Amino acid sequence: MAVPVADALSPAPPAGDVAAPGRRSRTRGLLRTPEITIPAAVLLLLLFFCFVWPHIYPVPPPTGGSILDSGLPMWSPGHIFGTDNVGNDIMSRILYGGQVSFEVAAAVQAIGLVIGGALGVIAGYFGGPVDSVLMRVLDVFIAFPSLVLILAIVDSLGQSELNVIYALAAFSIPAFARVSRAATLRLRDQPFVVAARLSSVKSWRIISGHLVPNMMPQLLTFSLLGAAVVIILEGALDFLGYGIPDPAPSWGKMIANGQTMLSVRPSLVIVPSIFLFVTVICLNLLGDGLRARWEVR
Amino acid sequence: MSTSVTAGEPGTSSAEPSRPGGGAAAGRRLAGSPALRVIGRRLLITIPVLWGVTFLTFLVLNALPGDAATALLGANATPAEIRAETIKLHLNESIWVRYWDWLVGLLHGNLGTSLYYNQPVTSILGQRIPVTLELVVYALVITFVISVPLAILSARKPRGAVDRTSMVFSMASLSVAPYVLALLLILVFAVNLQWFPALASGTGGDIRDLTLPAITLAIPLIGFYVRFLRADLLEQMSEEYTVTALAKGLSRWKVLSRHALRNSFIGLITVIGLNLATLIGATVIVEQIFGLSGIGYELLRAINNRDVPLVEGIVLVFATIVVLANLATDLTYDALDPRIRHGRSRS
Repeated sequence: MAVPVADALSPAPPAGDVAAPGRRSRTRGLLRTPEITIPAAVLLLLLFFCFVWPHIYPVPPPTGGSILDSGLPMWSPGHIFGTDNVGNDIMSRILYGGQVSFEVAAAVQAIGLVIGGALGVIAGYFGGPVDSVLMRVLDVFIAFPSLVLILAIVDSLGQSELNVIYALAAFSIPAFARVSRAATLRLRDQPFVVAARLSSVKSWRIISGHLVPNMMPQLLTFSLLGAAVVIILEGALDFLGYGIPDPAPSWGKMIANGQTMLSVRPSLVIVPSIFLFVTVICLNLLGDGLRARWEVR
Repeated sequence: MSTSVTAGEPGTSSAEPSRPGGGAAAGRRLAGSPALRVIGRRLLITIPVLWGVTFLTFLVLNALPGDAATALLGANATPAEIRAETIKLHLNESIWVRYWDWLVGLLHGNLGTSLYYNQPVTSILGQRIPVTLELVVYALVITFVISVPLAILSARKPRGAVDRTSMVFSMASLSVAPYVLALLLILVFAVNLQWFPALASGTGGDIRDLTLPAITLAIPLIGFYVRFLRADLLEQMSEEYTVTALAKGLSRWKVLSRHALRNSFIGLITVIGLNLATLIGATVIVEQIFGLSGIGYELLRAINNRDVPLVEGIVLVFATIVVLANLATDLTYDALDPRIRHGRSRS
């Protein structure tokens, strides 16, 4: 009687012991990789400054500045980066504009991940006519000059942050669908999936329990790299005059508005450009670092 | 990347001095093989894709508020004038009738008449396409001239000084937005140094006008290609044929530039094909900033003017280029790599 109990108990503690340091060392390894920690830390810092800082420290409003304060140079008292030509504080516009950039990027990638990811898995797993119809539709979207559709969507729905998100999602959805379809095709005939299918596990359980968790690292790194593209594209929309509607700030719009004063006050272009660049390069570095670590393509 | 590389390799490296002959041989092989049937089938697949693009464009433009009549006459036009213009432009007919007319015209090689310019779309395209084409070719030339040597230099001593510098440069160039890059180039080279004009002077085509826009397009591409080519070259350097060449006493530089590069080009060509869509998309913004009257610039104006036939024409050109580039990429890939041509899968 004692023997089976001992048998049943003895494997348990070692298993726990093995699992715990394994997980701990894995996270510690992640924290010890500067390729991952540095961009992640910079991004967290930027997020903190854009979303939390305005609530704990009084920042001048990003819009409705006084014309008497217009055109203050860098390092003016109360306005670290100076003011623009209608008197708004540039630092404050950077912070609030950053909120727009991060919100748009996160929303677009989330929509792409959920809808595009689901479409790709379904097409890849079931194959057949569903797959070929879906792939042709995606081909159309990929062959379509992206700006035309984005401009058209924003133009017909009206300019707002939400419509910019919808417009950009029209491109993140096909991209995610392609990636998740390719990942599904790679996983579909792996022994563990075949075994699950042979033991008559339902399709949706195979998809949700086996396929999706296994392609998540790839989709997550892809969404980080894609977020960088979305932030740049959002700025491009502002540049062409189809972005976030007017009094509200965004990095792209600040750059576009500074364009006219380029030779007189280059700092109007350079300051938001630096924030845009640092954000994008950190997203790229983080995506690359995680991709190398998780060994996904 | 693993099967029978060594078997294919001596043939390619010995054929190197007579490159044109090799190309002709490849052409013959292509014509004699089932490849022609593959091309035919692929071309047939592109037709529904292109049709889908034109149809989507029509639907999207139709959903936009306003139409060409209001855009043409401006805000001061009376309702009666707008009504007359609408009838004159056949905008009163249903969208299906207009799309059908356009499609029938397309099958006869007629892209219709621009509603705004009142000129045939084909002649407008004929004026605009050369500017954009010159810009893209110029950008690609700059890209190659810089990225191929840089990638070889990086791969010669991985993790050396050159390699690290070029990796930092490529990461930075991939992360900079094209419009930021354009403004920085204008600030440095047009405003401060005054080497190049900030805005294009004439109708385009002047190489001085095109230099800054082409550099704007090229820099992100250089970053991308250097990273890609370096990784691929390093992979080639661990293959048996390059190890053999090194063992025979060839310098690492020669092995890289003569042997490994040839095989890395296969991957590079596919990447170019895939990048072409992005490159064409970027021309829209770059032409807008530098005031180049290319096809991308015209596209924005045409959308604003609700000039449906012109937008359709431009979109069709863009989509055809992308689709054909993807097709050509697949086919070159087949022609360059015998393993694919003979139906063996490439890992």
